[in-house]
Amino acid sequence: MRTGVYPFTAIVGQDDMKLALILNVINPGLGGVLIKGEKGTAKSTAVRALADLLPAMEAVKECQFRCDPQDRHHMCEACLQKSNAAETILTQAVKMKVVELPVSATEDRVVGTLDIEHAIKCGEKKFEPGILAQANRNILYVDEINLLDDHVVDVLLDAAAMGVNTVEREGVSYSHPARFVLVGTMNPEEGDIRPQLLDRFGLSVTVTGERQSEQRVEVIKRRLAYEQDSDMFAGDFQKEQEELGNMIMQARRLLPQVTIDDELLTLVANMSIKLEVDGHRADITVIKAALALAAFDGRDKVAADDIKKAARLALPHRMRRRPFEDGVLNWDAVETMFQE
Amino acid sequence: MSKRMGFPFAAVVGQEDVKQALLIMLANPKAGGVLVAGEKGTAKSSLVRALTNMVPDKKMIDLPLNATEDMIFGNIDLEYAITRGKKVFQPGLIARAHGQMLYVDEINLLRREVLTSILDTADRGVNVVEREGISYRHEARFTLIGTMNPEEGILTASVLDRFGLFASVSRETDPAARTEILRRVLAYEKDPEAFVQAYENETKELTNRLQAAQELLGTIEVSIAMIELAAQYAVKAHAAGHRAELFLIEAAKAVAALAGRNYLLPADMERAAFFVLPHRRRQEETPPPATEEQQEQPPVEQSEQDDHEDQPKPPPQPPQNAPPPDSQGQDESDPDDAKDKNEDLPRQQNDYADQERIADIDKGFSNAKLAVSLPQDRHVRQGSGKRSLTRTDRKQGRYVRSCLPNGKLTDLAFDATLRAAAPYQRLRAKGNCCITIRQEDLRQKVREKRIGNTFLFVVDASGSMGARERMRAVKGAIFSMLQDAYQKRDQVGLIAFRRQTAEVLLPVTRSVDLAQKCLQHLPTGGKTPLAEGLHTAFSVLQSMQKKEKEMQPILVLVTDGRANRSIAGNGDAIADALKAAGEIGMAGVHSVVIDTETDFIKLGVARSVAREMGSSYYCLQELSKQKILHIVKNLP
Repeated sequence: MRTGVYPFTAIVGQDDMKLALILNVINPGLGGVLIKGEKGTAKSTAVRALADLLPAMEAVKECQFRCDPQDRHHMCEACLQKSNAAETILTQAVKMKVVELPVSATEDRVVGTLDIEHAIKCGEKKFEPGILAQANRNILYVDEINLLDDHVVDVLLDAAAMGVNTVEREGVSYSHPARFVLVGTMNPEEGDIRPQLLDRFGLSVTVTGERQSEQRVEVIKRRLAYEQDSDMFAGDFQKEQEELGNMIMQARRLLPQVTIDDELLTLVANMSIKLEVDGHRADITVIKAALALAAFDGRDKVAADDIKKAARLALPHRMRRRPFEDGVLNWDAVETMFQE
Repeated sequence: MSKRMGFPFAAVVGQEDVKQALLIMLANPKAGGVLVAGEKGTAKSSLVRALTNMVPDKKMIDLPLNATEDMIFGNIDLEYAITRGKKVFQPGLIARAHGQMLYVDEINLLRREVLTSILDTADRGVNVVEREGISYRHEARFTLIGTMNPEEGILTASVLDRFGLFASVSRETDPAARTEILRRVLAYEKDPEAFVQAYENETKELTNRLQAAQELLGTIEVSIAMIELAAQYAVKAHAAGHRAELFLIEAAKAVAALAGRNYLLPADMERAAFFVLPHRRRQEETPPPATEEQQEQPPVEQSEQDDHEDQPKPPPQPPQNAPPPDSQGQDESDPDDAKDKNEDLPRQQNDYADQERIADIDKGFSNAKLAVSLPQDRHVRQGSGKRSLTRTDRKQGRYVRSCLPNGKLTDLAFDATLRAAAPYQRLRAKGNCCITIRQEDLRQKVREKRIGNTFLFVVDASGSMGARERMRAVKGAIFSMLQDAYQKRDQVGLIAFRRQTAEVLLPVTRSVDLAQKCLQHLPTGGKTPLAEGLHTAFSVLQSMQKKEKEMQPILVLVTDGRANRSIAGNGDAIADALKAAGEIGMAGVHSVVIDTETDFIKLGVARSVAREMGSSYYCLQELSKQKILHIVKNLP
């Protein structure tokens, strides 16, 4: 067991953020989380802790994209060939990782590029995978996403939407799977991000430092205990960690069976019409999040309350529809719809 | 990569216009490519990508935004050159797209140079490559499909004109249809294969209908009356050039063929016009006053100006049929002038001097744009944007020449490297390759691309500016410049001066949104410390240049020039201001002055300030007519 990772369950408060992250690992197709908030609110700790919480997943051995041997639809070229040829595919267990995309990253580092050394010395083109390749089946963490270079944002959007990274540069023409849970953080005081990118994020949460002094004291106490002896600290939370890990894995298995009534679908559709959100991603995300919520709760049917919770996570960032517009979610309007 | 089980075309709820436009294109490729515009999340790209299932004989070639020029148009084959020692052309993406469909998602975000080259190739049907020591041409006929969200930037009129068909998408507002969309998306995500299968019959039907239409197409005759009708439609829409008529006729033929007819009806032409004309429609041209500035406008800027009128779906801008900006400008300034004439100056200043008020933004203000024409220098800059050309080291942009690498090689100029290695081949020991390349042969590419500029707005927020609607118009003008800045991805900063001091409201940031918010809440009132404002601006610019030497920020001063507070508090306010302006001018800062003075007795201080700073000078009224501010190099 690696030491050093702060246990997820030991994080005090920040329930919205924790829930949004959990929902995204239950259904990685949810579209990621945008975390808005000030510095020092356990954002990156939570993301790392979450990856650590999950049991290892099965992946094709020596595949640089860690393809899922069971999922033929999202395999890389090499793995698919093996699978088609009915070769026995060796697998290995890998932990989900957090891949970081630094704000200073250049486009070629993100999408991948030609290995020049290799090309010149051996007369052979070799693709050097970038950050998006590493991110496949992992969490892609972008700190201060609002400061990211525009070109990088564009390629990130492209890959996130398609689940595929297509590279056409420097004599390399290549595509590989890039399905990842996108977690972005930003401080709204430093400027917002383009509505187009906002809409691609499935969920958003706003984090603030704990306001109550008992809570704040608890945060510090735990931090100190962790720094003193991280192993012992982890031991204290081991039971809770295992429980949560199991709950997530159970929810994943349950998710395909969860159903939703037509009335609730109509409710969501009406909600989007009333709030005048752009496009249809909002409705779809609310429903998907509600399904994941029901699964997390161990139910195989979505309740109205799930929709409400999901709306709180999926709608706020979609209210800012145009550049130069302030988006405010009219929560009262949502509440009244549930009462009707 | 496995073929993704795409969402079936037939399963997309609604969006009938886009569907028909795409079907017309498939039935008759002569009707041109399709441009689909609309807000985010409206199944634009899902529809386009779904086309491949209906036409199994055609492939969809994706053009990613990160594609480099050499990969799109073809390049020298590196592997072959090194191992065999021969120069061979390696076809690019355009060659693969020959006879197929080429799809560009977010086409408005594609670099301008790349987009123009692609459109040129599409027009000619031939790809001509003259680069990096190779000269090659090959046939390249393809159907171009683009999707875009107009909020993120717009296309110029000349680009729009190349697309035969245009369709716009919007969200569904019918609850039943929305619910159905949700139901289908959920079903698809649960089991894509079963979902696709469920729509197999419908997909097949569409395929058959398309095939039948393609066969019918050749038998359709176009009568003279129909050609005349097409011409009438084109004239009514004030479409430029004659592409419109040709596209109209081809599209009308496809409409008829898809309906299973082998003859044309006027209704077919009407339907065709619905797709062919919206992006070509121009306003009836009122003869513009031929001022000197307008004649000097370079053609590129002209087309940029045009695209505001032609833009098919302009969300933030006034709609096409808004009154022409000329009359609008008059509305704002004339009453002001008239009232000013009736009031004497001192009284007016008393009225407004100390009251604090916040004017809202006049969003109807015509779209002022900033045209920056600074000479290119040799500095290398990073970052992105769509305004000024610069040297770059980020592997983007056009390859202009090669040089010796400075440090580690990052962007190999292969042709130049080969040329450098060639003379020594006889003397060098050969490995597996035909050519032995050593460290000293390596050459680096020098590239050019567009980046955004940095604009520092220095706004007079004194009481005299608050007079009547003046601040509203000023805010409107700045707001429209900010919108332009957003689309070109510029950086902006905001300084306001009023009462005793100047205040940096917003340090230079990439967030144009924040600038807009600051602007919105900017109050007016108090005296006019113009000199102080200029000093603050100057120190901001200086500290910025310390951080990034290569930056060439542009100062935009908006004032009525009625300086009445000196730096010491009791000196000559105007003299102080002119002195500060002179310092900025000496430092070679690029600047533009927007004069808002509309009073009867004009003091003309702002004009003098502009002269001292070596700035371009504009009046606010002029701005509402002219729309483009030319910022030229300041010669210190």
